[in-house]
Amino acid sequence: MKSNSCKQQVVPWMLVAVLALGCVGEAAAQSSRFDSLGQCVGDRDGNGQVTVDELVTGVNNLLEGCGYQPVTIQFAGYVGEEPFQCGQSYSGIGTSAQEFVPSDFRFYVSNVRLITTDDREIPVLLDQDGIWQLEDIALLDFENKTPPCVNGTVQTNSTVRGRVAPGNYNGIRFVLGVPLRRNHGDASVAPPPLSLTAMFWSWQAGYKFLRVDTAFDNYRIHLGSTGCFYAQPGVIGGCARPNRAEVVLRPFDPAHDMIVADLASLLSDSDLAENQAGTPPGCMSDPGDGDCNVLFRNLGVDFATGLPVPGLQKFFRVMRSHP
Amino acid sequence: MSSRTNIGLGVVAIASMFVGLSAVPLRADTPYVFELPVGFPRPKVPADNPMTVEKIALGRFLFYDTRLSGNGTQSCASCHQQERAFTDGLPQAIGSTGQVHPRSAMSLTNVAYATALGWANPLLDSLERQALVPMFNERPVELGLAGKEEELLQRLRADLRYQRLFAEAFGRDTDRISLGNIVKAIASFERTLISGNTPFDVYVQGLDDNALSEEAFFGGRLFFSERLECFHCHGGFNFTASVTHDGNPFDETSFQNNGLYNIDGRGSYPPENTGLFEITRIPEDMGRFKAPTLRNLSYTAPYMHDGSIATLEGVIDHYAAGGRTIHSGPYAGDGSKNPYKSNFVRGFSLTEEEKQQLLAFLRALDDPAFVSDPRLSDPFVPWPCRADCGYDGVVTVDELVQAVNVALGTSSLARCLPADASGEGDVTIDELLQAVTVALNGCDRKPAGH
Repeated sequence: MKSNSCKQQVVPWMLVAVLALGCVGEAAAQSSRFDSLGQCVGDRDGNGQVTVDELVTGVNNLLEGCGYQPVTIQFAGYVGEEPFQCGQSYSGIGTSAQEFVPSDFRFYVSNVRLITTDDREIPVLLDQDGIWQLEDIALLDFENKTPPCVNGTVQTNSTVRGRVAPGNYNGIRFVLGVPLRRNHGDASVAPPPLSLTAMFWSWQAGYKFLRVDTAFDNYRIHLGSTGCFYAQPGVIGGCARPNRAEVVLRPFDPAHDMIVADLASLLSDSDLAENQAGTPPGCMSDPGDGDCNVLFRNLGVDFATGLPVPGLQKFFRVMRSHP
Repeated sequence: MSSRTNIGLGVVAIASMFVGLSAVPLRADTPYVFELPVGFPRPKVPADNPMTVEKIALGRFLFYDTRLSGNGTQSCASCHQQERAFTDGLPQAIGSTGQVHPRSAMSLTNVAYATALGWANPLLDSLERQALVPMFNERPVELGLAGKEEELLQRLRADLRYQRLFAEAFGRDTDRISLGNIVKAIASFERTLISGNTPFDVYVQGLDDNALSEEAFFGGRLFFSERLECFHCHGGFNFTASVTHDGNPFDETSFQNNGLYNIDGRGSYPPENTGLFEITRIPEDMGRFKAPTLRNLSYTAPYMHDGSIATLEGVIDHYAAGGRTIHSGPYAGDGSKNPYKSNFVRGFSLTEEEKQQLLAFLRALDDPAFVSDPRLSDPFVPWPCRADCGYDGVVTVDELVQAVNVALGTSSLARCLPADASGEGDVTIDELLQAVTVALNGCDRKPAGH
């Protein structure tokens, strides 16, 4: 605080205008006074007022930085105990112990938070790399286009990279899926990683949150929101079944652990040899396709409502990577 | 004729000094003026995709280009053929990899006015958004481009004509050949597929009292009667309740169950074709499909969302019965008793004479000029009248000058596509000479639609 005297001389000039105008009022709703999350810029406690204290803190942060620390969250695609590989044959999958060959494996995560030892969720601010990460969304991509993953990309991505406030963390929470505000935009001009047409789900005007394809009788799992509707012309207001999973993993230490996404575990309660008549093999998130039921449960989504039930999920688990 | 000769030789002489010197083409943005039939409102156009002559020309090529499918076998036009009013004549469309679509390819007649694209999807609110479905859909595979966007863009970037068409439509950015611009261009072309020059229109606009035959006239009275109820779902200038237009704040969409199926006695439709229910999952939406335009029906058989009625006579019989009864097989059931059936599908009886009158009326909604308009045709087939920029079968001096401007790069290629017979994106001296020859000797082509 020893340098505050100089800052406080600077601050009032910036302050006066902001404080005088305030952050409430009709005109303010569309002004630059609000950040992308609708928060009044500089109003740290969210009471609609930017106080001198809040501004001093903000200016200090501007001058000295916030002390965010880089964090890398490691993911890995697995099938049981074996790492995922395009075209590899895996046996003993599902209740009837089938053999299958995966041909795609990608998913979006968003709103990644680290959980402190005292149960606070602190957002990880993702590096905006122009490829895999956009705003709070990241694409994890384990396929590398080698046959039979022919509709994929040569590039792969198994990490989420960003910054987080210093703290004592022992858990992680994230959403499996693309948030509503980005799920229904104009896909034809969307920036990466929302530009990949294999992840488009155009007939539902959204994205596939999770894509698993196999060379096993065209068995596929495409997770995405269904029953979406317009709130006003051109603006999708919501979806009857959002089908986004909330994943909580604890204990988790980003420095030593990785998050394993395990297809064998996801499919552990499915019978790949059976398929409900009149539905595609696997699950395309169709509420009428009973084959989705156990898959959704293992993702941590209630199939009937499309709402998350974090405790149910078996798809993700924590594995120690660096002892 | 001699002055024409002189002008023709003159333009070639001038052009020959400049051809080959033209720089990278510039964005042109020539505004497109809708040529609307009398009584037609102006279509809505998205604010971020204004209609230009350049985008429409580019979109026309893309619409007809088989490079827009994963395996290079199909284009949009494979299932939307002009001579069939942009349908394919099949009960159910077949995609590029041979997968059979559950639905019949819809007519693109007056698609610029449609509020929801496709048979039963309220989410597809623009042609731009809709275009992504046939391109990238995987169940079923249509054009089969999912995951192949880079391959698609590379194919187009390698094409000299596309290099120029994209630059003139969207500017000189290096990434002008993009997915976003592809769908904008295709949508722009689709908005020009406007059909409204039929005997019915000529009659109803008071242009010719004799345009409609007496038989069709009485058929029209039946069509618009409370006895038959046709007009409730197929009303208005486009003979569908799902229309909007420029200046109309409301985008009305009407989805109706017309009693084609009732598999379990509780209203079920075949699982792959549940209609609006597929999107909304609301039980009452079972079997609800959009009432399509009735224009150009003679070209669009077979009928219904799944092509399950072969003829117009069969369609009338279906509505006369108030629904369809299927006696055996997996889809057996009495559609007339479908609990979600539209109130307007109540059934009626017609004499044979009345049936013929109704058919005559429906056929008076055919627009032969639309299905043969060269401006909507496959642009990869060179137009034999070189430099006939307006596709009217006559090459004028103005058009020759236009062709020279295209050659010089002072005018966009879209302003005179027929001048580029070779398809290389430029107009050469040879092509100009061909144009002058056509101008002098005439051109054996019927004029364009209007």
